[in-house]
Amino acid sequence: MTQSHLEQYKKEIQGKFEDKIIKTEENYNELHFILTNQKDIPEICTYLYANMGTKLATMICTDERKLGNGFVIRYVFGKENGEDIFFFVTAKIDESTLSFPSIAMPIPSAALYEREIHDMFGLDAVGNPDTRPLVLHEHWPENTFPLRKEFDLKTKTTRKESQYKFLSVQGEGICEIPVGPVHAGIIEPGHFRFSVMGENIINLETRLFYTHKGIEKLAESMKIDDVLLLSERISGDESVANSTAFCQALEKIAMIEVPRRAQQIRTIFGELERLYNHMSSVAGIATDIGFAYGSSRLNIIKETLMRLNESLSGSRILFGVNRVGGVRCDITDESKTTIMKTIDKVSKDFEKVVTLLKSKSSFVDRLQGTGTIPKKAAQDLGIVGVAARCVGIDIDTRRDHPYAAYYTQHRGTPQEITQRQVTMQKRNGDVLARFEVRIQEILESFEIIRMSLQLESDGLHANTPTNLEPFRSALGYAESHRGQTVHWVMVGENNSIFRYKVRTASFLNWPIIEQAVLNDIVPDFPVVNKSLDLSYSGNDL
Amino acid sequence: MTPKTEKNILGNSVETVKDLSEHASPNFRGSITFNPELINDRYEALLESCPTNALAKVRENERTIISVDHGKCIACGYCKDVEPKLVKIQSKSALPVKTKTNLVEYSNPQPVMQSGKPYEEIGNELSEKIKKLFGRSLAIREVDAGSCNGCEIEITALNNPIYDIERFGIHFVASPRHADILLVTGPASRNMEIALLRTYEATPTPKIVIAVGACACSGGIFGDTYATTGGIDKVVPVDVYIPGCPPRPEVLLQGLLLAVNRLKPEQIAKSKQELN
Repeated sequence: MTQSHLEQYKKEIQGKFEDKIIKTEENYNELHFILTNQKDIPEICTYLYANMGTKLATMICTDERKLGNGFVIRYVFGKENGEDIFFFVTAKIDESTLSFPSIAMPIPSAALYEREIHDMFGLDAVGNPDTRPLVLHEHWPENTFPLRKEFDLKTKTTRKESQYKFLSVQGEGICEIPVGPVHAGIIEPGHFRFSVMGENIINLETRLFYTHKGIEKLAESMKIDDVLLLSERISGDESVANSTAFCQALEKIAMIEVPRRAQQIRTIFGELERLYNHMSSVAGIATDIGFAYGSSRLNIIKETLMRLNESLSGSRILFGVNRVGGVRCDITDESKTTIMKTIDKVSKDFEKVVTLLKSKSSFVDRLQGTGTIPKKAAQDLGIVGVAARCVGIDIDTRRDHPYAAYYTQHRGTPQEITQRQVTMQKRNGDVLARFEVRIQEILESFEIIRMSLQLESDGLHANTPTNLEPFRSALGYAESHRGQTVHWVMVGENNSIFRYKVRTASFLNWPIIEQAVLNDIVPDFPVVNKSLDLSYSGNDL
Repeated sequence: MTPKTEKNILGNSVETVKDLSEHASPNFRGSITFNPELINDRYEALLESCPTNALAKVRENERTIISVDHGKCIACGYCKDVEPKLVKIQSKSALPVKTKTNLVEYSNPQPVMQSGKPYEEIGNELSEKIKKLFGRSLAIREVDAGSCNGCEIEITALNNPIYDIERFGIHFVASPRHADILLVTGPASRNMEIALLRTYEATPTPKIVIAVGACACSGGIFGDTYATTGGIDKVVPVDVYIPGCPPRPEVLLQGLLLAVNRLKPEQIAKSKQELN
């Protein structure tokens, strides 16, 4: 984004909240407002959210007591209308009360972040209606705050007896169905509590964080290169997106320019990742409504793509593609031919399967009107990715905040853009809409890969500086197949990581499933869940 | 039905691969191995480079050798960056073993690992054994105890038409109560510990537990922290360890063969009697 835009916003907001903002800082496309007092958080956040057309991208708490700053919370708002700007509202938290004002009422998507901050730092969000534990389940002892600096990574806590309170629905004929954490299929763990009336779902409550592995805390004890491996394993199927976001944050901190070729290779691998995962999702939709033939055909395509991944990167799920400053694996002329051949073959097969699926009325019937996401809820919860695009919310990090080699492509002609907007408006948020969005994106990915294969020859990676300036921070982001993933990194002394905050698309999108199933019956839940294709590990960290 | 008409009706010919022996691409990062002649004094840098502490220095017969714990190794290749001549990354995966100590391979003298058999051969052998032991299919319950979902992708791949594990009489079931084998992934996160234990308790004896992937074997990159327990065997007894990050479908099948070998006909007969 051009500097003049940043200046304009800076002036506007500074003018409006003159006495409330102590300092303004710029860092690439980030505009930081540092507040005088934490009591002004709700006012300024609400202004940015309601009047500037932004979305809450993430909320970061840091323990900077050693630096004399106490606890600090950064609210990050991203503009989504084509301007590549992130607003940061930074406030020091009162150490005597260890609490801060909640913004969950005006900005509902903040509620989960505030509960997370309570669990990890022990800071209370005053005014958040939900004070139940989130990350640390009921068996964790009181006063365990893993992300505080004095908390030792290796601490082994005792278990305490306690019960989690689910929202209970009362009335004649209401039953509860508990599902999980160990599910029937080969999927990750999580608990679903259905309140049903006969077959109809009256309420659904999800309880996650079973796979919480302490990734953010662990990162603080690791070397930067090792954290890169960790970022790939935040969610195995999003390895490229997450590691790209992490690398970008560090490249901003180190102020290095990544070679064009490396950017293009990141784009290609990002799209290959989207491809095999979207195939898997579409196959999953077919499986979950009992259309085995369709899913078999799509799984064959998925396997073909995973073998392509393997021959290019040495890993079937694309581990080890990125490094800070560029990429670790090259795409040679020979691999280009392999990619082209595979893509050509796969796209032909795919078109055949899609024609077949769309022509089966029993297939389309099951998807139509199932798992409809209400648009208002989608906007309030700030959901991203396919889930947002299926209700006509036109957001895509690849276009809104261009990274890697996305800025030269993916825009289309004016006619195409209009066409896209028209189709967008028609989407009504059901499983069928998500099915169609995924198919559309698969076709786009084929195109993006074909276009990106004209590789420049300026090298695979830039040299990384041996010493990073302590306590510099930056935001990295990418669009995974699930939606926007945002990573914020603050480096510490001696090239360590001081704080690594990860927010994947799944964290934002999980709450919407509770809304999406409300008009459905229990047997439709698997297909609704699969159509949203959320990661448990990426949510739980 | 001739193959041609088959193709016309279904749009595809037979996709199931009968011989996967040479399946791994030469680029695949399966496991690491050392060139023992070239071991020099730069151990420290080498050991330091490993993010999961899979490498260790061992004194043996007045010589220093390096050991690699495949249960920890995630095949990132960072050691090769430090010592490109000494370390070799091979496409062959490390193989499943029965005890944790067997996961450790030494640069010298003889490697413990046997070479892998072709997929079809393992499958047929398994199928025979299952028939003899159970007289029915083998039932597997998969439990994710905190994995990154990489291992799940590979386990799911076993069910796709290419690997098609069901043709060998192996079946994934929805409840531990129906299962003979538990396939467990992840570093056993603390929030999953009790659920894993309960799943184990719900599985009828004789039961076999397989730890799948580096995380399940040792905690992997997630290690042993406040939120993880550092391996499945800290929570439930493990019979077979399958290394890899994630292990390929062929290696998973090999692990299942090893697991079935651990079951004794008497045990199964006894449990059948108890049922009657």
